[in-house]
Formats: sequence, C-alpha cells, structure tokens
Amino acid sequence: MHKRLIISVCLSLLLIMSLVACAGFGAKPDQQSFKTPVVTLNRVEVAHYWGYWFYGAKVEVTRGKAGNNGAPLDLNFVFDIENPNPYPVALENFNFTVAFEDFELNSVGSQEVMWIPAGKTNQLRVSAMFDVWQSFMSLGVASGLKLQEKKIAAHDLLEKWWTTIPDFAFPVYVKEGSAVFKADGVTGVAAFGAKYPAK
Amino acid sequence: MNQKKVLSGFYVLLLSVMLVAGGVSSASAAAGTINVGALNDMTGATSDVGKDYALGIAEAIHYVNDTGGINGKMIKLHQFDYGYRVPEALTKYKLFQRLGCVAVLGWGTGDTEALSPTVTKDKMPYISASYSGHLTDPKKTPYNLFFATDYSTNARASITAWFDKKWPKHKDFGKRKPRFACSYMFASPYASAPIKAIKDQATILGFDIGADQDVSLFAIDTKSQMLAMKEFKADLIWHGNTTMSVSATIRDAYSLGVGADHIVNLWGLDENLPKLAAKAAEGTMGAAVCAFFGEKVPGMDKVVEYAKKYNPGIPADKRLIRTVQAWGDVLILREAMIRADKAGKLDGESILKLGFETMNNFDIGLGAPPVTFTATDHRVAGIVPVYEVKDGKFVLVEKVDLKGRWPEKWATDWIGW
Repeated sequence: MHKRLIISVCLSLLLIMSLVACAGFGAKPDQQSFKTPVVTLNRVEVAHYWGYWFYGAKVEVTRGKAGNNGAPLDLNFVFDIENPNPYPVALENFNFTVAFEDFELNSVGSQEVMWIPAGKTNQLRVSAMFDVWQSFMSLGVASGLKLQEKKIAAHDLLEKWWTTIPDFAFPVYVKEGSAVFKADGVTGVAAFGAKYPAK
Repeated sequence: MNQKKVLSGFYVLLLSVMLVAGGVSSASAAAGTINVGALNDMTGATSDVGKDYALGIAEAIHYVNDTGGINGKMIKLHQFDYGYRVPEALTKYKLFQRLGCVAVLGWGTGDTEALSPTVTKDKMPYISASYSGHLTDPKKTPYNLFFATDYSTNARASITAWFDKKWPKHKDFGKRKPRFACSYMFASPYASAPIKAIKDQATILGFDIGADQDVSLFAIDTKSQMLAMKEFKADLIWHGNTTMSVSATIRDAYSLGVGADHIVNLWGLDENLPKLAAKAAEGTMGAAVCAFFGEKVPGMDKVVEYAKKYNPGIPADKRLIRTVQAWGDVLILREAMIRADKAGKLDGESILKLGFETMNNFDIGLGAPPVTFTATDHRVAGIVPVYEVKDGKFVLVEKVDLKGRWPEKWATDWIGW
C-alpha cells in the first residue's frame, strides 16, 4: 500500500513536470514570426427595421419632448477573424467606418477583448445604429460640398437608403478598418475593408 | 485510509497552489490597469473634425501604454461615439463611473459644459477638446482641463494679429474704424463660446461691430448671410463653426465679392480648409494650438508613426491637426497621472492637485506652448501663435502676447469667459 502511494505521488509530479515542460516548449509569439490575423466581412444584416420616417422639431409630439426625430436603422456587421498563428491571439480593438455608396456615415467598433485559438477562425458581430437626423448631420458636415456638387438633397438620399436597405439595393462599404491583435507582448494591426453585397 | 488522506491532501494542496497562483495573476493584472473614458463625436454635427480627434486619442493611448503606461500601469480606454448629443454624453459619463474611470477625455463644449457641475462634484478630471474660456477658472470649473489656449484667448489673439498686420495695409487705414462681424451657429455652445470675448477685444481695438450672422454647422449655402456681410461692408469676419461650414461660408463670401478678410476659430482651421475652400481660403487667419499633422516639431514622429501603425487603412494625407490636438490632451493627462501616482494617490483630486496643478511650463512638444496650470488659473499660456493660409499652406503670422500686452486685464478680467 505504501508503494502505491509513492507511485501515485511520483506519477502526479511527473504529470505536473510534463505540463510545465509543454508550456515552456510551446510556440511562443515573437514580432518576426507573428502573422497578423485576417479580417473578412462575412455579411451585413438589418438587425431591426422600422421603415423610414422623419419629423422636425416643430411638430407637436403626443408625449415626451419635441425634436428632430427619425427612424433608426440597426445594422449588424459580421466578420470572420482567422488566426494563422500556432498560438492564441487576443483581439483588443476593432474599428471601421461605414459608408453608404460613397458617403461616410458612421464609425463603429468593438473594444471587448476576444481570444482566437491557434489556427482557428472566430466571428465578431459589431452593431451599428444609424438614425435619420444623425445621418443627415453627418452627411452635412462630412459630405455637404459633395452633395452640393452632385445636386443631391440629403433627405432624398436618406429616404432611398432607409427604404431599400432590406434588399441591399445600394453598396454598403466597410472602410478604414483597423483591428489590433496582441499575443504575449507582440502587437499586430490588420487593415481591412469590404463592400456588401460584394457584387 | 491513511494513504487516501495523504493523497487527498496532496491533490488539495496542488489545486490550492494552482488556484492561488491564478488568483494572484488575475489580481496583479487588475491592479495594473487604469480605466479612462473617452467621449467622441464620430457621427454628429462636429464629426468633420471629431473623427480624426477620436483616432488620435486611441493612438496616443497606445503610445502611452507602449512606453511604460502610468508608472508601469496600463490604461484601458473606454471610447464611445456620442454623436454630439448631450443626453448621450451624460449617459456615457454614468457608465464611465460604473467602470471605475479615474479621468475622462471629453469632446465638445455642449457635453463639457453640461457635465462640468457633475465632474466638479465627483472630482473627475475632464480633459476635453472644448477649449471654451468658460472652463478656465478653477473657482468655477476646477476639474475641466485642456492643453491648449482657450477659444476666447485665441479669438482675442486672432483679431489682434489682423489689426496689427493687415489693417495698417488697408487703403482706409487712418481714415475710419475697421468693420467687424461674426458668423457662427447661434445655438452651438462651441461656436458661441468666445463671442463676448472677441467683441470685447474688437471694442478695445476700436472696431465698428456689425450684426452677427447665424450659420448652421452643416450649412452648404450661406449666401444670404454673406450678402448681409457685404451690405455691412465688413473688413473682417470671424467664423466660429467647424471646417465644412467655414469652407462653404468662405467660398460664398469669395463668390459674392464680400471683400472681407477672415479669421477662424481653431475647429474651422485645419488642413481641409484650403482643400475645400481653395482660392477663397487664401489669407484666412487663425490661432493653431499646436503644429499641423506631420510638421517637423518634437514628438510629431511618434504621432505619425502611431497613426500609420494603428490605422493603416487611413492615408496620411487624410490625417489632420485634430490628431495632434488629441495627443496634446492625452500627454498632459499622462503626465498628471504619473505625478499623482508617484505621490501615492491616483484619484481625481490627486490627479488635479498633485498632477495638473504642479505643471509649470511643462513641454509636451508637438509645437504646443509649454503648459502651466495653477490652483487659480487653468489658462495654459498667454502667448498665441496666429497662422495664415498662403499658397494653400499655413504660415506663422505673429505670436500675440496677450498676457504681456494687457497684463492687468489678463490677470483679473479675462479669466473664465
């Protein structure tokens, strides 16, 4: 019986030493061999849909405060993130700009830390909320002169986008994307962009 | 039984060691993190300048963490777009409190002034991109801070520089008073913040002051307002909006032959102004609180390096002085936190009193004036560089020494508005 005890303890110690040794000899990240994970847009979804409406601040409301209020548009952007490294990598920051046609409307992202196992692909869903008034202002300050040159009224454009988004009748662009990855002190940044629908 | 007990004891001990080791590791990781909130406008009425500033905030925080953090502690940045909506800013501020943030990097005058009583009560340092003069008197707003000269100081300096350099060359110099008027969005807290100060300065310098013109922050047609300026025969117009609206206004003034010179508040004065307003922007003047993106000044190499590294999808020619301004605010916060932490306390009051208010001519580089905060004055400097657009580039016109030229007014009258 005493012998069995000695054998059990020895086996346990051997197991611990093996685990420690495995940890020591496993692939370790370094800046030279680090491969930046690949970010690809899988799809864009209309998460929730309220149609199109807008009323200005002069309209009397039934309850609450009057204001420039319009329909929200709630989109989800689903990305595939592939880790080609033989060790796990943490996604620490993820951001990109959304453009409808060639008008930039919103900048969104995710700051939650997500670990991607070695050699695997994770999916990340980023939600982006647009509303008519906010988008009107964004168009005005960022693309006002472009609208003027193209002789397009901002509200006409917004109405077209809001009413045809269920069919994705216009291209939605992901632009200026940046994803920051870290692994044991090594940092890599992936640039990404996409068009949806792709064709 | 005895052997089983020994074995059980061994495994329990092993498990305890592993758990304790894991716990210690997690605890030390938690102890090594400092939470900082950031409110930015990437989609709202000031997104033409706000997006670049937001990018700069995140990049500068990466730089701080890569270079040792706050005495070894890393900053966790919680950054949100609030779309220039004050109620959303108030809501996000409550989130920052729940997250245990020790400071907030804020944005506009609307959110900053709306939150000012709250951050004072909470002793939460609020380092904003609103450089409103209303936020410079520590008796009223002790926890509002920024690295730059304030809008009122900048406005006084800009009108003074025009009066010094341009007016003497005018054909009517010595024959009559120069005529001055303001163009800005009346309802915008940012745009209207320095109105009282610039009119005060215009009175001191002896201008005739015309009626203000209300121009929206997202205006693309400002002809009626510029026709009113033409009727007044303005010699000088001050523009208080952001770049897109200012560009449209200056273009309309040019096409209508208004004939006035232009001075612009700093959020309307950036690398996009000559691009958008083209010839109409020539001669436009204004105060810049730091160097433009990519200029050869100390520290700019890091700003450019981190912009490329962390946002490789954005071409360098799209980046603006707004990125540099963001670095300015992050760098003073870093210094304040390092000083407070060394003194043994990293809470809001210590960051203010043992950090910010111990800075005396602290040089952040980036072409910004050295920063001084005292317990009685949060205006960082009294000398303001004023630039002019020449051949599409910004060139220095004059460094206006307001503090030296009007020392009594500077010391007692001009603080806090």
